[in-house]
Amino acid sequence: MKTEVSQLNEYLVLNLIGRLDTVQAPALEKKMLEILDQGHDKIILDCKEMDYISSSGLRIFLIAQKRMMGISGTLRICNLQSNIGEVFEISGFSLIFSIYPDLESAIIN
Amino acid sequence: MAVVFGFLPVLLFLFYLFLLDSFKLVRPHLLIWCLVYGIFAAGMSYVGNTFIANTAGVRFETLARYVAPLVEEVFKALLIIFLMIRRQIGFMVDAAIYGFAVGTGFALAENTWYYLHLGPDFNVLLAIVRGFGTALMHSGTISIFGIMLIEGVQSGKSFRRSSITGLLVAIILHSLFNHFFLHPMMQTMLIILILPLVFYIVFLKSNKHLQQWLEVGFSNEVDMLRMIRQGQFRNTRAGQYLASLKEYYEPEVLLDIYCFFSLYLELSIKAKRNLMLRENGFPVIPEPDIKDKLKELYQLKKLIGQAGELALLPLVRMRHRDLWELNQLEH
Repeated sequence: MKTEVSQLNEYLVLNLIGRLDTVQAPALEKKMLEILDQGHDKIILDCKEMDYISSSGLRIFLIAQKRMMGISGTLRICNLQSNIGEVFEISGFSLIFSIYPDLESAIIN
Repeated sequence: MAVVFGFLPVLLFLFYLFLLDSFKLVRPHLLIWCLVYGIFAAGMSYVGNTFIANTAGVRFETLARYVAPLVEEVFKALLIIFLMIRRQIGFMVDAAIYGFAVGTGFALAENTWYYLHLGPDFNVLLAIVRGFGTALMHSGTISIFGIMLIEGVQSGKSFRRSSITGLLVAIILHSLFNHFFLHPMMQTMLIILILPLVFYIVFLKSNKHLQQWLEVGFSNEVDMLRMIRQGQFRNTRAGQYLASLKEYYEPEVLLDIYCFFSLYLELSIKAKRNLMLRENGFPVIPEPDIKDKLKELYQLKKLIGQAGELALLPLVRMRHRDLWELNQLEH
């Protein structure tokens, strides 16, 4: 999995590219923790190019969400591909995260 | 000071194990019940040992080395066996911690008896040996029993065989301890060194199993349920397999098999989701219809019968851990 970081208004946008499975999860976890340790409290995960997520990947999202809740920060997820969106829906994780259809609505809201 | 050494170490070790439970598999109220039961088991063991010593005229040495280990481990094990039958134990972690709690209650009761009967003779040295050595031994043996039982059952061995094997190991370890081949202080030091290492390895292995089980199970089940909901299930191998059962089952039974499979997937995914949430300190998502869905699932299980369950075996194993995870949804 590759990640691209950019700044859009007050949000740090993390573009996730590829598969987020057990093999790739530790690298993303490290990246995510680095970002959180830098004190960013408004983060958007752009999942337009993320084509697979497993429980290991969901765990990283949960860790990030927990940390953000601890600092009253904001973590938003956008551009989930339909099959990935269904994973969140079916499992009920859509109730835990703030999910938006696209980057624009994630920033505006 | 003697009281501190005699009672605190095993309690602190139990608390430490409870903190190591990153997936929060252990329920606090059950843990307390295990502690309380351990005290009760100590009482029953005392009665049992005294009875055997008096009626069979057994010498103290024989009692300590062979009879007491058997009596005490059996009484301690009974609650762990009960918890397994009631699907309250799913992995090595919770088996080890519940077992340790039973042993802790047992050891606390024993040491209380010693403290009350020996009075000033319950000195610091004795307290160290009993508090660190004997207490950890009592907790360690029943933990090992629990671990062997869950691993045996989960790997397909029969419940009876797994419990007997685990019990034998616990009894042998206890008996070896009571032989005092080494000086009591040496034995105490060995236990202090070895037991934390054993538990560390067990917890590492258990968490790895849990994560692998979550990883594989969650992904497969979500994929399958997605196909069902999109109406593409029949194009999958699982769907084709179920369709092939038309020759052997009445249509209404086949429908129940399909409904059971779909509902099982949904509930299994939710159970795994709740485990992941608990691991990360999130509260479980309350779903008011969960209990009804569980009832429906068990009802469907009855309707499809053993034949239906056998038919589903290639798709849904329904082994101990699968039933345990559904049980977690009720709490």
